[in-house]
Amino acid sequence: MKESNSNFLKNLDSFYQFSKDRGYNKENSISGKAGFHDIDIREDLTDPELKRRPLLDHPQDPHALERMLRATTARIGVGKAGPRLLTRTLLTLRADHAGARDAVMTDVPQEVLDRLGLFTVQTRCHDKYEYLTRPDLGRKLSDEGARIVAERCRKDPDVQLIAADGLSSTSITANIEKVLPILTDGLESRGLTVGTPFFVRYSRVAAEDHISEILGAKVVCIFIGERPGLATAESMSAYIAYQARVGMPEARRTVVSNIHKNGITAVEAGAYIVDLISEILEKKASGVELRAHTF
Amino acid sequence: MEKILSVGIDVGTSTTSLVLSRLTIENESSFFSVPKVSIAEKEVIYKSPVYLTPLLNRSRIDAGALRAIVSGEYEKAGVASSQISSGAVIITGESARKENADAVIRALSAFAGDFVVAAAGPDMESLIAGKGSGAWQFSRKNHCRVLNLDIGGGTSNAVLFDDGDMKACGCLDIGGRLIRLCRQDEGLTVRQVSPAAALAAQAASVPIADGSSVSRQDLERIAGKMAHILDCFTGADRAPSSEDLELMGKLQTPGSSPFPVPEDVQTIFFSGGVAEMMLRPAVQTFAYGDIGMLLADAVQQSRMRQVFAAGSAGETIRATVVGAGSYTTSISGSTVYFDREVLPVKNVPVIRLDEQAQREIFRGNEAPAREIAAWHQQQQDICGYMLAMEGMADPDYGQMKAAAAAISRLADQTMPGGEPLLLAFDRDIAKAMGLLLRGRQGSGRKIICIDSVHMRSGEFADLGRPLMDGLVIPVVVKTLVFE
Amino acid sequence: MKLETVLTGHHFAFKSVKEVLAKANEKKSGDTLAGIAASSDLERIAAKEVLSQMYLSDLREHPVVPYEEDEVTRINQDSIDEEVYRVIRGWTVADLREFILDYHTAEEDLHTLSRALTSEMVAAVCKLMSNMDLVYAASKIRVPAVCNTTIGLRGTMATRLQPNHPTDDLEGITASLFEGLSYGCGDALIGLNPVSDTSARLGEILKRFDDIRSRFEIPTQICVLGHITTQIEAIRGGAPADMIFQSIAGSEKGNRAFGFSAETIREAQQLLAEKGKAKGPNVFYFETGQGSELSSDAHFDADQVTMEARCYGFAREFHPFMVNTVVGFIGPEYLYDSRQVIRAGLEDHFMGKLTGLPMGCDCCYTNHMQADQNDIENLSMLLGAAGVNYILGVPASDDVMLNYQSNSYHDAAAVREILGLRPIREFERWLEKMGIMENGRLTDRAGDPTIFTAKGGRG
Repeated sequence: MKESNSNFLKNLDSFYQFSKDRGYNKENSISGKAGFHDIDIREDLTDPELKRRPLLDHPQDPHALERMLRATTARIGVGKAGPRLLTRTLLTLRADHAGARDAVMTDVPQEVLDRLGLFTVQTRCHDKYEYLTRPDLGRKLSDEGARIVAERCRKDPDVQLIAADGLSSTSITANIEKVLPILTDGLESRGLTVGTPFFVRYSRVAAEDHISEILGAKVVCIFIGERPGLATAESMSAYIAYQARVGMPEARRTVVSNIHKNGITAVEAGAYIVDLISEILEKKASGVELRAHTF
Repeated sequence: MEKILSVGIDVGTSTTSLVLSRLTIENESSFFSVPKVSIAEKEVIYKSPVYLTPLLNRSRIDAGALRAIVSGEYEKAGVASSQISSGAVIITGESARKENADAVIRALSAFAGDFVVAAAGPDMESLIAGKGSGAWQFSRKNHCRVLNLDIGGGTSNAVLFDDGDMKACGCLDIGGRLIRLCRQDEGLTVRQVSPAAALAAQAASVPIADGSSVSRQDLERIAGKMAHILDCFTGADRAPSSEDLELMGKLQTPGSSPFPVPEDVQTIFFSGGVAEMMLRPAVQTFAYGDIGMLLADAVQQSRMRQVFAAGSAGETIRATVVGAGSYTTSISGSTVYFDREVLPVKNVPVIRLDEQAQREIFRGNEAPAREIAAWHQQQQDICGYMLAMEGMADPDYGQMKAAAAAISRLADQTMPGGEPLLLAFDRDIAKAMGLLLRGRQGSGRKIICIDSVHMRSGEFADLGRPLMDGLVIPVVVKTLVFE
Repeated sequence: MKLETVLTGHHFAFKSVKEVLAKANEKKSGDTLAGIAASSDLERIAAKEVLSQMYLSDLREHPVVPYEEDEVTRINQDSIDEEVYRVIRGWTVADLREFILDYHTAEEDLHTLSRALTSEMVAAVCKLMSNMDLVYAASKIRVPAVCNTTIGLRGTMATRLQPNHPTDDLEGITASLFEGLSYGCGDALIGLNPVSDTSARLGEILKRFDDIRSRFEIPTQICVLGHITTQIEAIRGGAPADMIFQSIAGSEKGNRAFGFSAETIREAQQLLAEKGKAKGPNVFYFETGQGSELSSDAHFDADQVTMEARCYGFAREFHPFMVNTVVGFIGPEYLYDSRQVIRAGLEDHFMGKLTGLPMGCDCCYTNHMQADQNDIENLSMLLGAAGVNYILGVPASDDVMLNYQSNSYHDAAAVREILGLRPIREFERWLEKMGIMENGRLTDRAGDPTIFTAKGGRG
């Protein structure tokens, strides 16, 4: 290799210092670092355990930093390169954001719906763009969807269960198979009739009102993906309403939110909702009105 | 929000006291989400004076006099036993001997309210004294390792907290009342010396026995030896002699856990009657007819006082009773399953499944769990039990159904139909499991299924009547019971 | 008043000032959702042209919500300096734009002008500005305000440190706070969005903030952003507070949906005069954001830029210490993508400054919006150039309680260096004393939250 023949004096002090700080040989960074190529490819940037490890070098009080990291899920102790983030923090953020974006923009896999025997109908939105910008269109089934629901579903059930993508298909994929069966079995074991469940694409919460009107359900319960955060894209909510009608006030919905593996787990949420729906049917009220009955 | 009254009664070797605490239970979740109930506030609303534990003779408790003390205190506090929904009677030190315990239970049965439990066990005493003294709160608040040493009449109970987590408990037979004295002809005579104190005296080269006369200097040497054993126990002396180690081994209180020499202790809290004397010395050294004052002085001079920072205990002599009143009751998770008519249940032995047995349960195989249950049933000569396990983090429906089937069979194989099926999970899956078990068991066996509580084999559980409109169940876990 | 024009041979006619204002708006999904947006790009430009020739008096006389029906309109109209207004009422909106940009118009002139402008005029001129116009025009106007320290002086850019926590855990909040301070954030405010809106919770957190502030002698402001009525209750209960926060809207109906009115703010003002800890006169913190009126059906068929301008007209009445547009929080049905968010951020900042407000911006986005961190970094650099009073700082840009992303603690330091800006002077001296900053740059020691625990902080 040709040595540089420029005649300006090179000062490599900052190069040497940086190499030294990183544990490289002074003269040749390639040969110096043991295990450089032994990167564990299973190490996942988005692993919560990994995120809890501080990247900051030489904190004054390492024990305090550990305690701080235990006390919050915020990304602290991350260190810096100049005034900017370290590469690892930057990539972890991008990875988490990508997961959140995919949760919004992708569809629930057909296999998941098939395993539960759910057919799919669509709201009046034609695509994700319209879904994201026109909440009004996501609150009603398309004419075809309404017709299919009317044809294929049992009429006047005590309870109509609905799965819907909302803002996170990922959350439906992660939770719906755990929650629907325990809920259905639990409700039926109490002698309630459970309607034919199905899946709604491009759906807002209030689509359940339209569905309730079509089917004459006493109670509707829609499972829908929450707006994903960087911490999890798997959070699902259930919105339950007694005799839901289009245009009714939002306060008439009873909500169970934060259903995911680090929140309330799907099966436990299912069992909780069995009791909740029984209570709603008994008190003939949901949302704020149900609370008014309870307290 | 719901407020309940909790009582703590500490019947110790030398003293007896009582406190009443008000526990505020709140649902802290927002208006529309899954409930999350917790004990939001604990407030001690009444403290009795410290009484000498009434004795019929040297070691037998006077049940009638004890009853009179408690009855008088209830009256002064203006409460009836029916208003008390939780709490614990802690029988400590020598009073915890079987005959005495029976007497205490008999004496207090009418005052125990609906859900007051009688319990003891040196490890549990250590823990509740550490909570009652304020050591635990200090450790949690300041994120540090804190040792609480509760030096009473009969025992010295140690507990180590790290950032609010209990790391170890231990107990030695060292206390201020292990040597009782009387004055005779200007001199001191040993009225009674406990076997443990005799060992300490021997090690201090001051052999004593009941009736022997003894000088103040001799007693100071014995107290000094006791304090030095505590130095070794707490790690203030990091290089104890082999003789001292041997003595420490002999002084370990029966039924207490071995206490590993703690590392990195930043702060020490002293509680118990001897700590009270460290703060407020008696005018006369032998006012109480024991070596309490001398032991207090010896501990003051000990290495523990030099090596560790001293914490300021909120309670000294009442640490145990305040702990009993305020910190023995916990509550279950907020999504649970129960057949109301079973509650309350008391003194249920716990059988905890290990990881492997639990894994098989969630695969639908109860065989390993059955072996564990049968072994415990035989060992402890018990029939009904509380089955405890960790539970899965995010189980699917198939795993839950398999587990419900396995647990249901396990119950049928190990318990007669009249025994309720009692289950406790660490993880939040109890409501789902209860629902599935109900499906399995039909309307036959009664079921209680709770979660967010950690119980271990060898412990005993009490479950109270549901609170907060049936959302939660109060739970007390004990290490020892009297029946 | 002329409400029609011809463009590329097509005739465009509008029915009202309100319609012209709406259609002259740059494209925003919220206006489309409201059904009031221009139906084509050409119609949008036609509306801009009509608007450019409209007299300021036309705008004064046609507020988008009637004077009689709405206290926001009344407060705005009644605050106008009639003497100045008489001079400018015959100007067109195009004249106004060029006056603002003119080299002969000095900063004091713009402050004088400000007092004669209604919110509709401010919104109108904004709609005729390009993005660089918005940056340039705003950079001419500095609006300082004084609480404990002085924000908004030329050459400074401050940060609100936002140490939110998913369960309001005090230790977790403190950890994020220490991390932020160690990056030189927090000179505008240490301000937390609580999960639980109770006065007990607010009091507890305020007390922790106040303790830390006095222990480390930090020259700054503190606030916990509960509802205004909860804050009032907390302060009555003895909680230490410098100022009071409230989200505001551009109509009385919108404010009612937020659960307050001008009267509530006056009550808070009185309370702070008695019990507040602030040294200076500016004791309010208001938050706004395009689209909030539509979301509570309180927009009166006006566009979201005009409604936003009306928030500023309302805020001006109460001389706040800081006003914050939480520009990208509301979601894609109001601001679809980064292009719309960046535009809205520049508009809001300009309109706030022109109204005479100490304007800052939460440069942020949600995960269902077509935007990412690069866009938000762009916006913060543009606003830094425009002279924004402050931006936000959250740990590594991820707010774990509100589930959205804003500027990271690191960003403020970088923007300051790039644009030669400094923290608030007293705060910078404190940073120097703590060894966090030197000559306007972070030190090697910066970024270590444990410098506060090692010096006798909690732990």
